[in-house]
Amino acid sequence: MGKKYNVKDYYCKHTTRCSTEGRKKSKRFVGHNVLKADAWDKVTGDAVYPDDISFDDMLHIKVKRAVHPHAVLKNIDISKALKVSGVVDIITAEDIPEVRQYGLIVRDQPVLVGVGEKMRYLGDALAVVVAESKEAAKKARDLIKVKVEELEVITDPFRAMEDDAPSIHPDGNILITHHLDKGDVEKGFANSDIIVENKYQTQFIDQLPMQNESGAAFYDERKGVVNIWASTQWLHDIQADVAQSLRLAKNQVRIIQPTIGGAFGKKEDVSVHIHLAIAAIRTGRPVKFTYTREESMITQSKRHPITIYAKTGVSKDGYLQAWETKFIGDTGAYASSGPAVVHKGMYHCTGPYNCENVRGVSHAVYTNNTFCGAMRGFGTTQAAFAYESQIDIIAHKLGMDPAEFRKQNIYEIGSTTPNGQQLNHSVNARETIESAVELSGWKGGNSK
Amino acid sequence: MKISLTVNGQLREVEITPYTRLLDLLREDLGLTGTKEGCGKGECGACTVIMDGELVASCLVPAPQADGSEVLTIEGLGSRDNLHPIQESFVETGAVQCGFCIPGMILASKKLLDENPHPAEEEIRLGLSGNICRCTGYAKIIDAVMMAAEKMDGRESDQDG
Repeated sequence: MGKKYNVKDYYCKHTTRCSTEGRKKSKRFVGHNVLKADAWDKVTGDAVYPDDISFDDMLHIKVKRAVHPHAVLKNIDISKALKVSGVVDIITAEDIPEVRQYGLIVRDQPVLVGVGEKMRYLGDALAVVVAESKEAAKKARDLIKVKVEELEVITDPFRAMEDDAPSIHPDGNILITHHLDKGDVEKGFANSDIIVENKYQTQFIDQLPMQNESGAAFYDERKGVVNIWASTQWLHDIQADVAQSLRLAKNQVRIIQPTIGGAFGKKEDVSVHIHLAIAAIRTGRPVKFTYTREESMITQSKRHPITIYAKTGVSKDGYLQAWETKFIGDTGAYASSGPAVVHKGMYHCTGPYNCENVRGVSHAVYTNNTFCGAMRGFGTTQAAFAYESQIDIIAHKLGMDPAEFRKQNIYEIGSTTPNGQQLNHSVNARETIESAVELSGWKGGNSK
Repeated sequence: MKISLTVNGQLREVEITPYTRLLDLLREDLGLTGTKEGCGKGECGACTVIMDGELVASCLVPAPQADGSEVLTIEGLGSRDNLHPIQESFVETGAVQCGFCIPGMILASKKLLDENPHPAEEEIRLGLSGNICRCTGYAKIIDAVMMAAEKMDGRESDQDG
């Protein structure tokens, strides 16, 4: 039988961190509306976003992208493109043999795909065109001729995990597997009166910040430093990744953050940075590169589509007894933040509800889709779709009010998450449910 | 080709190609980078300016079409030291986050308030429906327009016609 999981009182007696007394408020800021220091520049149009940066003598970049989501590059012909008036440089992989792959967690992403190498999604870069104007760069880019040998395109992670599926990367298509084990799920299911088992599927979502990926760069030859003004959410990680990719010391790469027009996780990854740096170093002139919206959609990260299996056991009186789950995350062509996102989602498989016995496995799987990375919630929004649906379905089967069912299983001070973290302070889940009930006008009852 | 147009009260002559967009003319030829490009397809409203009294998506207006017109961009509405009441209200209500949509939002608000000085919330939502914001959830932007309507109450509309 279930027992009420409440150790709040114990923790309030034995820890100093969950004092019920109100904290001292800062007189200047906390609890007051503070005018934002950058608002004036933003309401007058004075704020400088990356694409607002201009230098005299500045060149413009356009990138030739993959022509197929999974193919070997057999030949790339830039001869016609080079004849376009205004073209200064066209860079292909053979021009930069020393440049290394990059990536936030796993360095699996090529700066340019070379002849004999694979393009793994439609955003892979094949050539960087540098020209006096955007129009010239675009015209030349469209004149680049490419020959490829097409491979099977894998758009479904379940196909990717089959034994006979071609490997998108050398080490196979399962990028990473994580396990979760808490308590004893077998015992938990044995103690359950009702077991509910379901499969949930979420979809790709673009973070869609208003400002597309954009930046400008200038190489200071005297100091040997490349200066990159570009939108990013990780200045230091991007600096380190650009430096290792170009085999420069970190102090030879300066990342300068202009005003950033939204990100929501999409700007954690390298986008324009390395192409800008290479073009700036090779030409010795300032360069600018701004993605179009289509390019941003095709090339940069998405929220992972995750297939979630959830098997939940509950006692007659409405206490969760066991929760078993499986997360299959489509991480697309490159790892980005995928290894962290998919297993973080799994760690949240029970949501804010107490369950002593939890077991799970998660796989982040490569496909030929656009790569997936960080987006607000970092895997937990996908998990929420599954666990909140489970909770509603179980409440319905029990004939309980779903709000009451939630409240009697809700996290409190002292609760332990599936990955074993004990929550010692600031747990407001109950208040959240109560507010939601009040604000929505929920009258209680069940849908039976 | 050469065209002339009045931008923020100043007569400007600009050498353009037939396929230059009004957005490029403003940003690249005149250096008025307060007007933003979000989608390039007239969907998001970041490039909104007021042309001959009408709200337009400047990414969809061929520059030759702007010959002889009068254009107002965010730079022409007010400056840091002399904010327009709508700009003031956006600052005071906390309606600005990343700020990329704000120049378009403010110009759409101006057009709305010029025509309807006391809009209801629904009318504000409709008036700003061509402008997407991804940060704020719109609530404070609507507060800002409400506050601006109060501030501008009793003042003569500063738009002719």
